[in-house]
Amino acid sequence: MGHLIGKEYCLDHVIEVAKSIVLAIHKAPQITGKTKIEAEIIWGEDLEPIIDVMEPLGKVMRYVQWDYETIKKCYDKGEAPVIIAIGAKLSSSNLNWNCGACGFATCKEFNAYANEYRGGGQLGGPSCNWKVLDWAMACDWACASAWQYRVDNRIMGSVGFALNALGFMPGMDAKLGLALGPPRDMVYYNREEMHKSMSYEMDKQDMVNCVPTMFTAFPGGGTPMYKTKDDWWAPPEFMGIGYSEEVMEVYQQVIFEQVPEMVVKHADKIAKRYEDKNK
Amino acid sequence: MKKYVEDLNFQGEEYVGEWTPWSPQDIRRKKCVLEAARLMVDSAFTAPFAGGVPSLEAHIVYGQEELEAIARKIEEIAHTNETWKEAFLYEAVMVRDSDVIIFLGNTRCHETPLDAGCGMCGGTLDCGYFYDKKTHKYGLVDITDRSSEKMIDGPLCTARVGDLGYAVGSALWTAATLMVDARPFASIGMAGQKMGYCHKSGMVVGVPVAAKAKNPYVDVNVDYHLINMDKVLDNTRKIYQTTRIIRGFDYRKWIPKPDGPKTDGEDK
Repeated sequence: MGHLIGKEYCLDHVIEVAKSIVLAIHKAPQITGKTKIEAEIIWGEDLEPIIDVMEPLGKVMRYVQWDYETIKKCYDKGEAPVIIAIGAKLSSSNLNWNCGACGFATCKEFNAYANEYRGGGQLGGPSCNWKVLDWAMACDWACASAWQYRVDNRIMGSVGFALNALGFMPGMDAKLGLALGPPRDMVYYNREEMHKSMSYEMDKQDMVNCVPTMFTAFPGGGTPMYKTKDDWWAPPEFMGIGYSEEVMEVYQQVIFEQVPEMVVKHADKIAKRYEDKNK
Repeated sequence: MKKYVEDLNFQGEEYVGEWTPWSPQDIRRKKCVLEAARLMVDSAFTAPFAGGVPSLEAHIVYGQEELEAIARKIEEIAHTNETWKEAFLYEAVMVRDSDVIIFLGNTRCHETPLDAGCGMCGGTLDCGYFYDKKTHKYGLVDITDRSSEKMIDGPLCTARVGDLGYAVGSALWTAATLMVDARPFASIGMAGQKMGYCHKSGMVVGVPVAAKAKNPYVDVNVDYHLINMDKVLDNTRKIYQTTRIIRGFDYRKWIPKPDGPKTDGEDK
């Protein structure tokens, strides 16, 4: 007998669905059969470190800002997603195929390089490409599995960055996060949480910045004007290319100061979980 | 406007079977697999891609000669590397045992990288690892020199390679949903790339598809390239023919029976 009312039980059930999705991650086919893949499920207050790391990065990366604000707003509303962390060991090759895809002639040379530069990128690296394919298939199976359960979801590099920075899955050197739920339509596509957080002007300026050819006037003169205003009689605008100290300064501040600050705030607590688990 | 004309001639029967290979009933069955393979390719195109950028191309290959050519190319590649030799020889057999081969390739991983500075290719804070090893002018990669001593002309944009993985994953998910057998293979991918399938791609994965009583891609025996169904059948022909030769009799006159007549049946 029972009578479930409201939506709370749905939110709880997303965790159960996440467990089923992790089964799909481990069941995903591999090309090499030798790629080590791990998955973890994170929810509730344990999302806070991830949100905290995404916040500063969102200041310099629009796609991270979008992911951050969506997750943060859902969290604040009591509708936080469940995040599945999917990690893999990619930066050493035990294949000895010497295929050349990584840029080295042999796996041995790649491994020597990887030993020196492991983890240097925002999302890890360097990577054996065949192992990347295995990992990507597991991530894809996670997404496909989520769709089969009809739970809104999106695989996120932004969350992957946070997982890496915070030391989640210490044995893995590449990570992505699959945000799962809350249980409704259009959380991560046509994002309702982001309504009214951008203006018409901002959208238009993005287009001018990112797709300039759409706004370029007659280029025959060599220094074309840009059609950025409705008023044709207004002074024309031109574009320039150059180093932006301002942009780079903010970027460096975020990467080397603000993100590490958040990492320091949470990393010990996360590391302890792995220590306790290994005891 | 061309109108949809409904074909109401809905009568017929189709005998479908997997034996003997390449017989009408087997080809009918293979055609069903081809439909599944087409849906798998559709799924591959709906997979998540970094930045939503289209970067996938696909080839669907079927037919006895076509599959034989792929199998032979894999065998050729097998003998270039001791590490993968045995596995690739086994996989060539699997190609011959397949109904349809799908090739999925990423058209951007070698030429137009994501440029997001993720560092996954070389562990650096920007895309320098990729560009430093490529011939390029202000970030535009020159791919006109296609000669390469390596099987794959790396380095590749790892984000794009990841996209290829998502595509392969989605194709395989659909295969699993449709209950047809399929697996991803490096050997088939490399052979296909060398043969010119997915010719715009920097990296190619092969996904053979089959719908048979026995999944061709699992549970193989040792020395599978020497002992497999094709070889067993051929061996049966070899052994059985000789076995006939060594015991001739005129069946019209006499057939040996456990307790049969001892005469040859001829009028005396």
